[in-house]
Amino acid sequence: MSLLEVSDLEAGYGPVTVLRGVSFSVDEGRIVTVLGPNGAGKTTTLRAVSGMIRRSGSVRFDGKDVSRYTPEKMARQSVAHVPEGRGTFTGLTVEENLRVGAYPRRDKDVAADMQRCFGHFPRLQERRSQHAGSLSGGEQQMLAIARALMLRPRLMLLDEPSLGLAPKLTRELFSILEKIAREEGVTLLLVEQNANLVLKFADDAHVLEAGRIVLSGTAEEIKADEGIRRSYLGV
Amino acid sequence: MERFVQVIVDGWATGSLYAALAVAVVLIYRSTGIVNFAQGELAMFSTFIAWGLIEAGVPLALALLGTLALSFAGGMLIERVIIRPVEGGEVLTLVIVTLGLYILVNSLAGWIWGFGNRSFPGLFGDSQLDVAGVGIPVESIGIVAVLIGVVGLLFAVFQRTKIGLAMRAVSLNPDSSRLVGISVGRTLMIGWGIAALVGALAGVLLAPRLFLDVNLMGGVLIYSFAAATLGGFDSPFGAVLGGWIIGIAENLAGTYVDFIGNDLKILVPLVAIVVVLLFRPTGLFGSPEVARA
Amino acid sequence: MSSRRVRLLAWGVVLVLAVLLPFFFNAYRVGQFTQAMALAIAVLGLNLLVGYSGQISLGHGAFFALGAYTSAIAIDDVGVPYLLTLPLAGLVCALAGFLVGLPALRLRGLYLALVTLGLAIATPQIIKRADGLTGGTQGLTIDKITAPAWSGLADDQWLYFVTLVVTVATFVLAAFLVRGRVGRALVAIRDNEIAARAMGVNLARFKTGTFAVSAAYAGVGGALFMLPIGFLAPESFPLALSFAFLAAIVVGGLATIAGALFGALFIEFVPVYAADVDEALAGVIYGGVLILFMYLLPGGVMGLIRKLSSTKTRPRGSDDAEAGAGHRVGGGAAGADRARERVRAQ
Repeated sequence: MSLLEVSDLEAGYGPVTVLRGVSFSVDEGRIVTVLGPNGAGKTTTLRAVSGMIRRSGSVRFDGKDVSRYTPEKMARQSVAHVPEGRGTFTGLTVEENLRVGAYPRRDKDVAADMQRCFGHFPRLQERRSQHAGSLSGGEQQMLAIARALMLRPRLMLLDEPSLGLAPKLTRELFSILEKIAREEGVTLLLVEQNANLVLKFADDAHVLEAGRIVLSGTAEEIKADEGIRRSYLGV
Repeated sequence: MERFVQVIVDGWATGSLYAALAVAVVLIYRSTGIVNFAQGELAMFSTFIAWGLIEAGVPLALALLGTLALSFAGGMLIERVIIRPVEGGEVLTLVIVTLGLYILVNSLAGWIWGFGNRSFPGLFGDSQLDVAGVGIPVESIGIVAVLIGVVGLLFAVFQRTKIGLAMRAVSLNPDSSRLVGISVGRTLMIGWGIAALVGALAGVLLAPRLFLDVNLMGGVLIYSFAAATLGGFDSPFGAVLGGWIIGIAENLAGTYVDFIGNDLKILVPLVAIVVVLLFRPTGLFGSPEVARA
Repeated sequence: MSSRRVRLLAWGVVLVLAVLLPFFFNAYRVGQFTQAMALAIAVLGLNLLVGYSGQISLGHGAFFALGAYTSAIAIDDVGVPYLLTLPLAGLVCALAGFLVGLPALRLRGLYLALVTLGLAIATPQIIKRADGLTGGTQGLTIDKITAPAWSGLADDQWLYFVTLVVTVATFVLAAFLVRGRVGRALVAIRDNEIAARAMGVNLARFKTGTFAVSAAYAGVGGALFMLPIGFLAPESFPLALSFAFLAAIVVGGLATIAGALFGALFIEFVPVYAADVDEALAGVIYGGVLILFMYLLPGGVMGLIRKLSSTKTRPRGSDDAEAGAGHRVGGGAAGADRARERVRAQ
């Protein structure tokens, strides 16, 4: 049984339907990516999974039916969503951003986890008392991920983490993500436009086009696919 | 000279009352972007509740605590029942709802307790303190002290507690707040509850100085808005400072400027609003977003 | 039948009913309807300002008072015939509105609301202070208006028809303004100032112009309003009056002409600023109804009528004005780009 199972997901904004029956699953411990061009519905997919928008169809997390859950409830189920645009609390300090990331937790290990986050992202430690609004784009992305990590999530949803970042920074970020995934056992579901980059480090991939999943498989399989190579990998 | 000091102190105390209501207004504005035109009437209603409890024989301190608790609950209820359905909606809709609430609460108080006026017991007594040869009413000192205490307490809550962190998060970014598991609705309710509580405090401190009637807070509202504007509409500290400045300025103008006398003291907050908005819309401590609002 | 014809027909029916009305009601009622019409003119003025050009004003009562006092002083002290005081009140208020509209250019949304709120609050105080002119707290009385012999009407009926004629004129004028170039420019300003400016709309001229026209309407309404009573005092123009105007435009329907009628009827017949003990409950009901209106009918009565009749022919241009009317009001520049995010608790 997969950690996350999505079937026939339909969602949209007002009169516009974006997702027209999306189905895929995410196995625990894997790094999974959803690829697709602009407008395919990648962000919408994550929003639908975490409950930010109204949707029909079924979403099951850890065997539970979470199709009607609000984002707050999903967070309490240990699903952390790093949204489009990062969504950092610009008026709070870096440290406060991390603290609020652990909001639903009642255990005593929050401080220790914060240290571990700083371990993953030393740059954030340097800036821990600064307002998040004063951080660069790359640092804000790290902060957003670190905040999500503070939830001790079983599943982390990431919306285009590479957006707006220089290639070097993106590579650094992805290697940290991989480290987090393997060491902390967090399952990652990323949506990305940059297929080249993400297929190098993901385990599984799904391709989303015009609101539907058109291809699913391991990253190797997707990379090898002729159509994909032409459309997404520029080969 | 003695007179001058007394005018200043009296203005400081009155200014603290403006500040208290202004803090309530700012709290709500910060967290939801709503200007609650009914804040003063809610405070007036709370003051009547206090009066009712005292009339029923409840000891003063207990009556006040009870009033604060009831006001907190009332504030939460109002957010949940009256404001929630239109939250996030059009500006004008919200303006009308809070105006409607103003009218409703004002009339409700009149319906329950009548439109006559009555006296309200002072909390600090009538005595004066001799400070360097000048007689300063204890009440004035008490009011200022209470305000400082309350604002200090609020600061501690906002900066050091989990719920305070949640409230700040919600006012910065409600969507992200949901994603970290904060119940935005519940947090907003608490914000309104706190605002109602602070407003109630303003009411019970003001009532002994005037008469308690349904129009108790009607005049104060514009002063509080002026204080909030001067301070920067999303800064509680600004509201306090703004309130003090307006209170002192008003008293000085009313005492020493003949043209203004007692009738036109209202010009002080109005001029303050106009001047601030035309020349420095962010006020003393407001954030840049405030100017663009 | 095209929607335009339907609308004209509806107005025609209303007009016929209006003409017949005074012959079926007693003098007191007729007086109330006269006042309702006077209010409607003022409400229409506010709707031009708020609904069409998107500038929130909580101070409309100030212009209403200015018009009323201008007219009363002209009749009382200067002996101007009351009919001539109407355009006089309009002109004085237009000037005042323009003067307020100038600094208002620099204010948006909340801040404009606050400043105009201050104006409304200051009004009774200023009236009292200028007692040499206004009679202060004693108020002013004017001689009762009598119907001319050739009309064959009772006094109350005569005043009713005078008011009706002025009302029709102001409504028709407003309709022309709104449906033409001016209206389109105003809606463009309301919805997106930056885009409007880019399209060549002179923001300052239109916005201050709208303030002037809106104030003029309020002034004429104010002058007409006090004619049946013959007496005015500072208490006649409390803050509640400005609130009532604002409530009226939303209850009637933002950015609509007809809405002014419904709104005026609403505020005339649910009196809000007579603070008698008996009317305490009326205040509770009034406030409650306002709030319920916002939950159920944020588009006002006209919004409901439009919705009901949208199953038939869809009216063209006017819908665009109303769509987004509430949404954009007070948003000012880049309405969608508001820095202060409205919080919605789900």
